[in-house]
Amino acid sequence: MFDTVLIANRGEIALRILRACQGLGLKTVVAHSDVDRDAVYVGQADQALCIGPASPGLSYLNQSALLYAAEVSGAQAIHPGYGFLSENAGFVEKVEQAGLRFVGPSAACIRVMGDKVAAKRAMRRAGVPCVPGPDDGLPDDPQAVRALAREVGYPVIVKAAGGGGGRGMRVVREEAELLEALALTREEARRAFGNPEVYIEKFLLHPRHVEIQVLADSHGQAIWLGSRDCSLQRRHQKVIEEAPAPGIDEALIAAVGESCAAACRQIGYCGVGTFEFLYEKGAFYFIEMNTRLQVEHPVTEMTTGIDIVQQQLRMARGERLAITQADVPCAGHSIECRINAEDPDSFAPSPGRITGWRVPGGFGVRFDSHAGVGYRVPPYYDSMIGKLIVHGASREDALDRMRLALSELQVEGIATNVPLHRALLQDDGFATGGVDIHHLERWLQRRSTP
Amino acid sequence: MPAVTRSRNASATQENPPFAGGAGMNQEQIRTLIDALAASELSQLEYSEDGCTLRLVKQSASASLARAGQVAGGACAAPQGPANDRSDARGASDGPRDAGVAGPAECLAPLYGVIHLQPSPGEPLFVQPGQPVAAGQTLCVIEAMKVFNEVRAEADMTIVEVLVRSGDEVEAGQPLFRLG
Repeated sequence: MFDTVLIANRGEIALRILRACQGLGLKTVVAHSDVDRDAVYVGQADQALCIGPASPGLSYLNQSALLYAAEVSGAQAIHPGYGFLSENAGFVEKVEQAGLRFVGPSAACIRVMGDKVAAKRAMRRAGVPCVPGPDDGLPDDPQAVRALAREVGYPVIVKAAGGGGGRGMRVVREEAELLEALALTREEARRAFGNPEVYIEKFLLHPRHVEIQVLADSHGQAIWLGSRDCSLQRRHQKVIEEAPAPGIDEALIAAVGESCAAACRQIGYCGVGTFEFLYEKGAFYFIEMNTRLQVEHPVTEMTTGIDIVQQQLRMARGERLAITQADVPCAGHSIECRINAEDPDSFAPSPGRITGWRVPGGFGVRFDSHAGVGYRVPPYYDSMIGKLIVHGASREDALDRMRLALSELQVEGIATNVPLHRALLQDDGFATGGVDIHHLERWLQRRSTP
Repeated sequence: MPAVTRSRNASATQENPPFAGGAGMNQEQIRTLIDALAASELSQLEYSEDGCTLRLVKQSASASLARAGQVAGGACAAPQGPANDRSDARGASDGPRDAGVAGPAECLAPLYGVIHLQPSPGEPLFVQPGQPVAAGQTLCVIEAMKVFNEVRAEADMTIVEVLVRSGDEVEAGQPLFRLG
């Protein structure tokens, strides 16, 4: 059983994991790059190790440096956070071969879910609703491809089996475009993912992005922790998330949630995970599973009262799930705004020194961030510098609380997207709830053409 | 190749392996560190304890690593602060940047980030010293938060000197090229 955890990540999630470890009485080792050596969580850890220069390839993605850091520090477990090596099955195998515990599912589970065709097949088998379309890769024969697309019905989307997160896909609106789109996507997939396999699905025109958080132990038990709506996206990047997904029949969500938990039991999943769905016209369609902790996990923590990162660590320690499905409440409503160091209009990145920092607070307000006055946002990593999370008795209550919190939040010295969030919280569509995944892009387009 | 630098924070406990705290390092500790480095795939290792720092470097240590170390601590004499306009390159018409001193024409970094002087490793440089460039031609790329920002020539001109190295961290407003 491990008592020391190496945190192989940076920024707000490194701090979040550190707090969860400390809450469980676990010792912490932070593995950091050269530019992150002065970060607040580095000073709060029991030990800190510099694993390389700023460039992620030489530090946070450097598998041998991380394994060596674990060995030198005496850490028996590695928490990957999100991004970087969190869904790298090869790394998980190396961690296990080194006799260490990876805080996450097995390499086999990550591999199945990383192959979108294999994942879809596994989900269909477990009774999870999927997007219409075959759960096999497309054949080479053009006639057979045309027949499959006709059967699914246009518009269709051609997707790379090795893709995910919005990468490696192309929409086809009519048969004349099909074969060229197929060839292009196949070539892109071969280059980007080293796997030319592609598949087709029905393309949904106005879906919402709704996801289910799951929690599973290594003893065959799994539960689901409610729904989240992450439809406000720009270029497949989530901007605002909320829990629960508004305006969806509770019985339907419960049925889908139960199918997700059943799928976890069937594939031997352990740890936390998220099933991502498109939701359109009252139906759910599985798109992919994220086999890791997610950025937006706090909104589910707020509505369930469950510390998801502590639970993740407990599952990795081999503990039995102590929460039953009946114990999982869905109280009130929670919203999260991702605070990014970027221009609120042009979205140009804005790294640099923070000279002023006023964080909102009060009842129902949570701010997860590693930044502060004097912190220099490095140009090497993604632009998220914090997450503002609120909880309210109702969705309206949470919206009001978020508006107030955003008016309190002030960051100086760098540009942030706080003004964008303030404007979005005034948008009627978002305030009503249930907008589709194109809503933000449409809103931005309207804003840029007065 | 990676470097592992070990530092021990104030809250670290004494029973953490592999070394106990104490004044300075003894030969046995140093030998253990050398063995650990030799047995690893790492190229260098830095260990600090009670104010003493030991740095071990394998002979095969890559040049890029040494450079990265310099960059991290490098001070920049250039004026700091955000670029005051969105143009990518500024020519002689900008006039002197320091009162009373007429500086040479320079292209300044429009934002804080990591500079790349070639499209990707192994490919030829965007521009060379002595090379004439046309207005709109890409001079370099500045990477910030996974976004690649092209820096283009504002007018027809000649590159006199390249003032930075590929992979350097550059400040907003830092001179990148001397132009003629």
